[in-house]
Amino acid sequence: MDAISTFANGFIGLFSAGGEQFTSWVTGIIPQVICLMTAVNSVIKLIGEDRVENFCSKITGNFLARYIVLPVLAVICLANPMCYSFGRFVEEKYKPAYYDATVSFVHPVTGLFPHANAGELFVYMGIATGVQTQGYELGDLAIRYFIVGLIVMLIRGLVTERIYAVLTRNN
Amino acid sequence: MSFRAITLNPGNGGWGGPLTVEPTETCYKVLCVTAGGGIHPVAEKIAELSGGEAIDGYKNNVPDEEVMVAVVDCGGTARCGVYPKKGIFTVNLNPVGAVGPLAMFITPDIYVSGVTVDDVVLADGSAPSPVKKVEKIDKDEYMAKKEAAKEEAAQSENIVTRIGIAIGKIVNKFFAAGRDSINLVIQTILPFMAFTATLLGIISASGAGNVIAKTISPLCSTLPGMLIISIICAIPVLSPVLGPGAVIAQMVGVLLGDQIGAGAIPCRYALPALFAIDAQVGCDFVPVGLSLGEADSDTISYGVPAVLYSRLITGPVAVLIAYVFSIGLYTS
Repeated sequence: MDAISTFANGFIGLFSAGGEQFTSWVTGIIPQVICLMTAVNSVIKLIGEDRVENFCSKITGNFLARYIVLPVLAVICLANPMCYSFGRFVEEKYKPAYYDATVSFVHPVTGLFPHANAGELFVYMGIATGVQTQGYELGDLAIRYFIVGLIVMLIRGLVTERIYAVLTRNN
Repeated sequence: MSFRAITLNPGNGGWGGPLTVEPTETCYKVLCVTAGGGIHPVAEKIAELSGGEAIDGYKNNVPDEEVMVAVVDCGGTARCGVYPKKGIFTVNLNPVGAVGPLAMFITPDIYVSGVTVDDVVLADGSAPSPVKKVEKIDKDEYMAKKEAAKEEAAQSENIVTRIGIAIGKIVNKFFAAGRDSINLVIQTILPFMAFTATLLGIISASGAGNVIAKTISPLCSTLPGMLIISIICAIPVLSPVLGPGAVIAQMVGVLLGDQIGAGAIPCRYALPALFAIDAQVGCDFVPVGLSLGEADSDTISYGVPAVLYSRLITGPVAVLIAYVFSIGLYTS
């Protein structure tokens, strides 16, 4: 009997943990996403969808703009996870690559702009604390983390773009 | 071959229609945009009965005005709305109603779903709805007249009325923007979140997360060790499991911070380690992230493996680059 109830508790526990995660996303992410999307949609509708999309797809035709300029702007201005919504401005075939580039930057950005990913600071902060304990300043690490982040996001964007092209061609 | 009018009936569980279409000299193409490309039997039959021409939409680019009817097999995200939005008669092979981001354009007079080969029949003499060409001209004329009437009215009205109309228009746009956002959240973002949250809950509650963190940290004191970690983190089966909320990366980060603080790992390795423990970043979130960027379902289904495979290459590469950039860091 005990074994059964332990099992039942454990089983339910798996899903209540999932439920908590879901609640935290719904209350933490969704309201912001809705307001941000509404604001962006309004601006786009006021300017005219055709014009905005033409402009954005024009600048995102360039791979540097697509995998560095646009994602960096998105991450710093909109923060994680709203930054992915700028994916709408790139062509459909570049969207996975844009996502990969953007998501690769949400941790390197935290050394200099912690607001951009406040929920996941400890990837950087955890390691940085150790460096501080050793008596070093963090500025050097933060800047190098940022620069390497820029290089990595570009590489990820280009590599994912190729792989996505191959996958869609085969199917 | 002579052109004939055909009727497209909604199939079992289908929605919209029935539509009656007739090809003309300039508008006779049956655009087939179905999974796997090629010409679907339904498109084939429409072309055969009507005397039109079936065309594979993946291989050929057809000007919209030549498309008599588009045949899609959309689950309810994007394609089912794209052609109605363009004013093209749309046949969806899946029994999907007016849903998706473009739901407002999906109306029963232009869209029919759940269609099978048996639902494509010749129209008898008394076709209920007008053929496309006639309707289109009527619509254009109507719109033109409406525009003209509006302009005339605007000119004759005084400034107060005009400001009022302008404000009304702007408010309407804000409202429409809000409605679009809510629809997107309900139709794409929430379902993906539900799925991802369930997966994440199982991983964290079963204790798998802790075990992984304790295994990884000792490896971080050498370059080959870090390369191995980055490859392990990037394995396509593991990376979505390790990704959620960066929980594991954060736990490992804290553990490594302890080791660096204690002097067990050299300080300059902090930089490559940051990339080694983060090769899986966002791998759990690909479908949600892509839907935030308004990608359609096909892009998501190929985009997820594309990102996961790519990490196997870019994960170790990132560690190497970071290793090079860590030269001269914290050496004094």
